[in-house]
Amino acid sequence: MKTAVYGIGNILLGDDGIGPAVVNYLFANHTLGDDVTLEDLGTPSLDLPNYLTGFDRVVFIDAVAVDAPPGTIRLFSREEIIAAAPGIRISPHEPSINDALIVLDFAGGAPREVVLIGIVPHTLENGMNLSPAVGKAIPRAAMLARALAAN
Amino acid sequence: MTRVTIDPITRIEGHLRIDIEVDQGKVNKAWASSTMFRGIERILLGRDPREAWLFTQRFCGVCTTVHALASVRAVEDALDLPIPINAQYIRNLTLIAHALHDHIVHFYHLSALDWVDVTQVLKADPAKASSIAESLSDWPNNSTKEMAAVKTKVKALVDSGQLGPFAHGYWGHPAMKLAPEVNLIAVAHYLQALEYQRYANQIVGMLGGKTPHIQNVAVGGVQNAINLDSGAALNLDRLYQMKGLLDKVVSFVQNVYVPDVCAVAGFYPEWFGYGKGVTNYLSVPDLPLDEKSTKFDLPGGFIPNGDLSKFHAITGQKDEYWRKAVTEDSEHAWYKSGGALHPWKGETDPQLTDWKEDAKYSWVKAPRFNGQPAQVGPLANVLAGYAAGNPLMVKWTDAALSKISSIAKVQATPAMLHSTLGRHGARAVRTAVLSDLAVKHWQLLTDNIVKGDTAIYNPPTFPKGEISGVGFHEAPRGTLSHWVVIDDGKIKNYQAVVPTTWNASPRDTSGAVGPYEASLIGNPIADAQHPLEVLRTVHSFDPCMACAVHMFDPAGNNVAKVKVL
Repeated sequence: MKTAVYGIGNILLGDDGIGPAVVNYLFANHTLGDDVTLEDLGTPSLDLPNYLTGFDRVVFIDAVAVDAPPGTIRLFSREEIIAAAPGIRISPHEPSINDALIVLDFAGGAPREVVLIGIVPHTLENGMNLSPAVGKAIPRAAMLARALAAN
Repeated sequence: MTRVTIDPITRIEGHLRIDIEVDQGKVNKAWASSTMFRGIERILLGRDPREAWLFTQRFCGVCTTVHALASVRAVEDALDLPIPINAQYIRNLTLIAHALHDHIVHFYHLSALDWVDVTQVLKADPAKASSIAESLSDWPNNSTKEMAAVKTKVKALVDSGQLGPFAHGYWGHPAMKLAPEVNLIAVAHYLQALEYQRYANQIVGMLGGKTPHIQNVAVGGVQNAINLDSGAALNLDRLYQMKGLLDKVVSFVQNVYVPDVCAVAGFYPEWFGYGKGVTNYLSVPDLPLDEKSTKFDLPGGFIPNGDLSKFHAITGQKDEYWRKAVTEDSEHAWYKSGGALHPWKGETDPQLTDWKEDAKYSWVKAPRFNGQPAQVGPLANVLAGYAAGNPLMVKWTDAALSKISSIAKVQATPAMLHSTLGRHGARAVRTAVLSDLAVKHWQLLTDNIVKGDTAIYNPPTFPKGEISGVGFHEAPRGTLSHWVVIDDGKIKNYQAVVPTTWNASPRDTSGAVGPYEASLIGNPIADAQHPLEVLRTVHSFDPCMACAVHMFDPAGNNVAKVKVL
């Protein structure tokens, strides 16, 4: 099964960089299978479909807006991701993971298995450090990503 | 009098907010504001200028490549460091491939749905759609079979009760006017565009090492090892692989994108009459052809009041006419310090107040060129090329105007380009010009490598004391400039004046409005609850606002809120 693990987020905006941070941790500490693509995608928005096409399974790691303490990890299924309806686009930044999946479901080529490892941020202020509670979630999120990409 | 606010509630802070005042079905006042702090440059203070590009390409997820290039150009400018010609060609090819990808995506996947009514596709006759498309170009994927397959796909989507990627459109809006068959052609090409923009992005990846976030640039050149005898380096195999991808993209741009824009324009000729706005146009020259960046393939300069005969060319980054003209004004932006400051002296100290239309109302500063607002983007670039008599710009502009004339049965002239549709037309023209130049720069690079030149890098050395530089790039959304001050080899000040800041500029100290604000005046508003016309005009600039928090919101709160008072 062709699998990708993608970190999403802006490393210049505090805890928004958690996705890329988990990817860097995976690069440094774990070996995913040779057939697993591992990448920090930054904030790809409208370009995201390009990185999904041709994969059977994609594991995303991203900051999530849910009401829970910083550093909390929540898993979201493909159905839950798609249920977050797309809005009116003003700029190319707004299309998100759900838009990319919806576009590819229509056009063809969408990955069948999709899971999002969401981590609750503390702050999204300018800066390149993660807050302590969010930083502590990295090893757990990485283990989860490794397990989800392996099964 | 009706007051309308369009404020996309994105994941957290939101991006671009537009406020308009509507009187008798027309916009009579407008305000553009960014609802997100933009002081991201402060992260660079004290850092090594050689690594600034690694951070600047994280400013924005859509424009990674352009911020990397502007940054290395700024540091090289401060050092007066020329780069090997191979490095220029490799950078040029990377920038062109990125722009081809970006322009295609903008039209088909962001803007086209402002003009195309997907629900009308169900009424289309595939055979008629095919014959219309085949009359516009000889693109091979316009057959009746292809059109029928797309119609079936759309029918399945509509029958499912979910409109998928099209769920956020204003379907059935009175301002939608395309024939059903043209709607079908547009959706067919929307799907094909997904494939062809990917080829362009693959070229960026092949040159850049990966996408997003290219790895191949350096202050002083590029890091693409060139060795015709090595499988691991840039060799003829890889060059021809790239050429294969490039040929496909060039064909799509010239046979699909350009005719589609002309066809849409032909059905909406009244939109050549809306969206004019600020007609001072700024662009910068790009695609350097020598090591010191003094000759360029794309001209740039300043055009005052839409008067092409007054075009003032900018000759390069060293041109004092350019270096002295740029300022940013914070009178109506949420920063301390009023007045116009040159970017090398730029300050970024936040001072947030309530949103006040007569005082401060945006996180975007007001960039000015010799004290005046200026519109940037493909239209500015195309008008500069047209004014300068650049053969490719003239060829493609005239071709597009003549195609629009024959579809709309009106005489389309260059004067009509000062409009909402003019910006779309100019973007298509610029993409066609770039598609020709992509082939040229691929050939220049290949010939130079075959000749035996493998130089890619001149090492930088940083002097003691203070130096400053500017790097510019005519990016897909317009003139981008990075302004750096370096002291003893460390970054002392860094300001990025980005295209969307020029266009989304708020009012300045003198009260002069910015390009978005001016362009909305006089736009018709058929239905204040569904201000499709505002989206048409704002989208025509290709806004790129957020630079960019990305967070998944399971509650799906990323819908634009339209508030009518």
